[in-house]
Amino acid sequence: MRFVLYLLMMIAIALGVGFGSSYYALTDGRLFGVVRAGPWTAWPDIGSSAPNPYTRAHLAREATLQLGQAEGLQFTATTDSAGEPLTLACGYRIEGKTPLASFWTLVAVDRDGRNLAAPDSDPDIRSSEIARTNDGALLINIGTRLMPQNWLELRGQGPFTLKLTLYDTAVFSGFSSDESMPAIIRESCA
Amino acid sequence: MMRLLLWVVSGLVLGGIIHLVVILTLPRLAEETLWGRLTAYEATNKMVILPAVAAGEPNPLGLDPDLIYGLCQVDLSEGPAYLSGQLPDAFWSVALFNEAGVVTYSTTNRDGIGQILQIGIFNAAQTRLLAQQQLDVAEGVLVVEAPDDALAVLVRFAPPHDAMRARFAQALANTTCGPRAQDSVPAPAQ
Repeated sequence: MRFVLYLLMMIAIALGVGFGSSYYALTDGRLFGVVRAGPWTAWPDIGSSAPNPYTRAHLAREATLQLGQAEGLQFTATTDSAGEPLTLACGYRIEGKTPLASFWTLVAVDRDGRNLAAPDSDPDIRSSEIARTNDGALLINIGTRLMPQNWLELRGQGPFTLKLTLYDTAVFSGFSSDESMPAIIRESCA
Repeated sequence: MMRLLLWVVSGLVLGGIIHLVVILTLPRLAEETLWGRLTAYEATNKMVILPAVAAGEPNPLGLDPDLIYGLCQVDLSEGPAYLSGQLPDAFWSVALFNEAGVVTYSTTNRDGIGQILQIGIFNAAQTRLLAQQQLDVAEGVLVVEAPDDALAVLVRFAPPHDAMRARFAQALANTTCGPRAQDSVPAPAQ
């Protein structure tokens, strides 16, 4: 009887550890090939011609058109800089500097990748479209309620994800030490 | 107590094995692949402009709403593939995807190509013929060796402003893509 109990326990541990760690590796991925810069995460190996097995599995899971290594790198944020999940009930301010790139775009999407921008507004913010502060830093307001200055107007409710895509950049490629990413700061909530 | 520990350790080891098996087999087990999604656009040997991303619409390929995407699928077993055209002066990049959804090659027009898109894609055998000068290519063609025969060529094109989108998309649609070599190199922009 004890043998059967031990066996069942071993199988439960094996399944939990095996599938749990696989799911973790391909969603959060912090220990498995994902780089973090503040709240932003990226898979630096995703555009390489020989990605590591974790990146390869992530590619298969996403099945999207990824950027090649020469083209750029996409960063994703699901939390603000304090670690709180991003939600459409709150407004956010993005401030700071991005690594050197030809240009970048910023979009807000839901869990299924649908763009959350308000109808009849720009679906994204592009680096060439914004007004910058005196020192060249960026300041972007994001939220569903009217906000001043550069505003990415969103619609809907629930959690959301920010995607910042740097085109033609050397960040995390080993050729650049400039890995500073802007902070995401929560403003007032509804 | 010792026996319980042994069972737990065996469970962890088995969990590790399951983890590795899941990560390594996931790309092969995926039912909805990037290649399947791309094939739906019927872009064999021709340049197809992917529909623009609208707010609230599904975006299975993870496209950037700011960019124009041109897709063309080629099979190098039919012969070398050529991509040729002239694009307005703006950022563009080219990526080659294999059937696994991995980017095997990518470049941008910042790498000195300018406005002329002239790329010849060759497999290993064709590259050898090229080196032995048994294959002729027009002068100025960027020669790319691809490890796979079935490839999806993706051109990302970033119009500086939304008003230019239609004209830029037309210019990208006018580029040729396929196994037939282009006889003439387009004249440089005035």
